[in-house]
Amino acid sequence: MIVLRGITKRYRAGEETISVLRGIDLTIEDGEFVSIMGPSGSGKSTLMHILGCLDLPTGGSYELDGMEVAKRSKRELAELRSQYIGFVFQNFHLLPRMTALRNVELPMMYAGVPRTKRRQRATELLYEVGLGDRVRHLPTALSGGQKQRVAIARALANSPRLLLADEPTGALDQATGSEIMTLFSDLHQSGMTIVLITHDPSVAAYAKRTIVLVDGSIVGEEVRE
Amino acid sequence: MNFGEMFMSAMASLLANKLRSFLTMLGILIGVASIISIVAVGNGGKRAVVNALSNGQTTNTIQILPKELVVPGLPQPGQVLSVSQADLDIAQQFSGVERVDYTITGQTNVTAGTHTINASIDAGPDYLNTLAQFQVIKGHMFQASDVVAARPVVLLSNTLAGKLFGSGNPVGGIVTIGGTPFQVIGVTASQQVNLFSLFLGSDYAYMPATTCQNLFPTWGITEMDVQTRPGVNQDELANHIVTALNVNAGDANAFETSTGFLTTVESTINRVTSILTLVIGAIAGIALLVGGVGVMNIMLVSVTERTQEIGIRMSLGATRTAILLQFLMESVMITAIGGLVGILLGTGVGVAVSAITHVPTFVQWPVVVFSFLFSAVIGVVCGLYPANKAARLNPIDALRYE
Ligand SMILES: Nc1ncnc2c1ncn2[C@@H]1O[C@H](COP(=O)(O)OP(=O)(O)OP(=O)(O)O)[C@@H](O)[C@H]1O
Ligand SMILES: [Mg+2]
Repeated sequence: MIVLRGITKRYRAGEETISVLRGIDLTIEDGEFVSIMGPSGSGKSTLMHILGCLDLPTGGSYELDGMEVAKRSKRELAELRSQYIGFVFQNFHLLPRMTALRNVELPMMYAGVPRTKRRQRATELLYEVGLGDRVRHLPTALSGGQKQRVAIARALANSPRLLLADEPTGALDQATGSEIMTLFSDLHQSGMTIVLITHDPSVAAYAKRTIVLVDGSIVGEEVRE
Repeated sequence: MNFGEMFMSAMASLLANKLRSFLTMLGILIGVASIISIVAVGNGGKRAVVNALSNGQTTNTIQILPKELVVPGLPQPGQVLSVSQADLDIAQQFSGVERVDYTITGQTNVTAGTHTINASIDAGPDYLNTLAQFQVIKGHMFQASDVVAARPVVLLSNTLAGKLFGSGNPVGGIVTIGGTPFQVIGVTASQQVNLFSLFLGSDYAYMPATTCQNLFPTWGITEMDVQTRPGVNQDELANHIVTALNVNAGDANAFETSTGFLTTVESTINRVTSILTLVIGAIAGIALLVGGVGVMNIMLVSVTERTQEIGIRMSLGATRTAILLQFLMESVMITAIGGLVGILLGTGVGVAVSAITHVPTFVQWPVVVFSFLFSAVIGVVCGLYPANKAARLNPIDALRYE
């Protein structure tokens, strides 16, 4: 379970300080599917990085499974990212010199999965996102949408309990987009907690709950049945 | 992530920047290559010089001779002036002794045709010690069998040969010494001019000790040459023999050992090579230092260039240790491969030098192993700071780095 209380994030830019997050209170239950919407620059990605233990908030408290994240050691945070959390970044962040397959293998390598096993799983995952025929391609030889799907396959590699996806369908056409969203729904059905950032209301509608972020504050929340 | 995987991934990243990796290796490569080749050539050269001087003999000879006179020409009353047959027998009894030979020196007339010259005679075993200082420039040295059979064969110094035979070829000619005809079998380069040669001249004739003893039984043996068995402590054995000889002579100061010429040469060469090794070692050390700094520099550049990659890896679960080891592995591989290629290159240079100069070279395994390990250690030392810098990056800052 995720519990955020009064999370703030400020950056110092010379003399000024900019507040990117201004007191976020948010609770996400295990197995929930939450989407976050909001205008550009409202702090969505920043919030996701904090949720994923990549970044620490300036103020407030973030409890993950009842444990204060700020109190964890670097090693524990690395372990959390490895075992517990899967990221799909807004700009994919694939390693450019590695094939699609290697990129998907990478999180499993850090988790200590044996080579043959992780190669097999990576291949399966790439098939699942519809890239079975692009396994040996370098990211530069992939289209934006294909890169996005490699990133999704990579995020799922260690079967994370929490999947954080920053605009995972941003570069996809309608058809592929809804395929991916069906995949996300299936993952949600199987019990994965999903936090998804999107600009597209129809994508947000896949989630049971949508949070609207404006200028670093939660201004609205919509729950669907 | 096991060692094999780290190795492969470091390899891939080095191959991604082939030229840069190679240039970075160069400093280490040159340093190691120069160490290997210098040591190989130095060792080979040393052995070659010692071998040439000893005519294939190793330095297993102890020379024992009566104590030098305090005032030349004026012996103390009762002083032992020559080595007796009994002394040779005493020396022969020691277990570390292989063989005992002796050297006789004297002064007599040498005649060829109408020319007669008063010359110094040096008679000894086939490895005649004094002869080691000269080179046989024509003909050849007498053999062990000539000594055993006491054959009348003689080598003449260049100057003596000139006086006796003029410009003709003395080898194969006949000279008469002490009324006996001798066959001239070789000519040696003349002895260096020193204070002695002003009095004694540089007219020398060399013959087997046995031949000389038969011919001039009254000449005393001036020196005994004790050949030791392999693995014997020569200094200790020499002291024991001298003590035994002194006891026999009833004079605690009758005999002394003389450092053999070869031992002197060898220690001189050792001194020269150790100075050379020191100088080359310093140069190679500087090359390695510069090479190491180059590796560190490139690793720092690499860490900066790959900041985002580090952020991505961290977001995918890489621990600080994993990042640290990744970069450390790369720098160690640069220096280790550089060291390996340097070893091959250095060996190649050694082989080439030996092919050109006909001096054999010796590549020593300990030096090879040490060079390799040392270059790997340079990789660790120089990679540590950049790798640590990479490992300490904050994940989100690294990820956002453009
Ligand atoms: N390291 C930083 N230093 C200063 N300002 C930063 C830093 N990181 C983010 N910001 C600022 O934080 C604000 C929110 O950024 P964020 O990436 O979270 O926006 P977003 O909601 O994801 O926008 P988009 O929809 O365009 O992706 C931006 O105004 C950005 O300039
Ligand atoms: Mg964003």
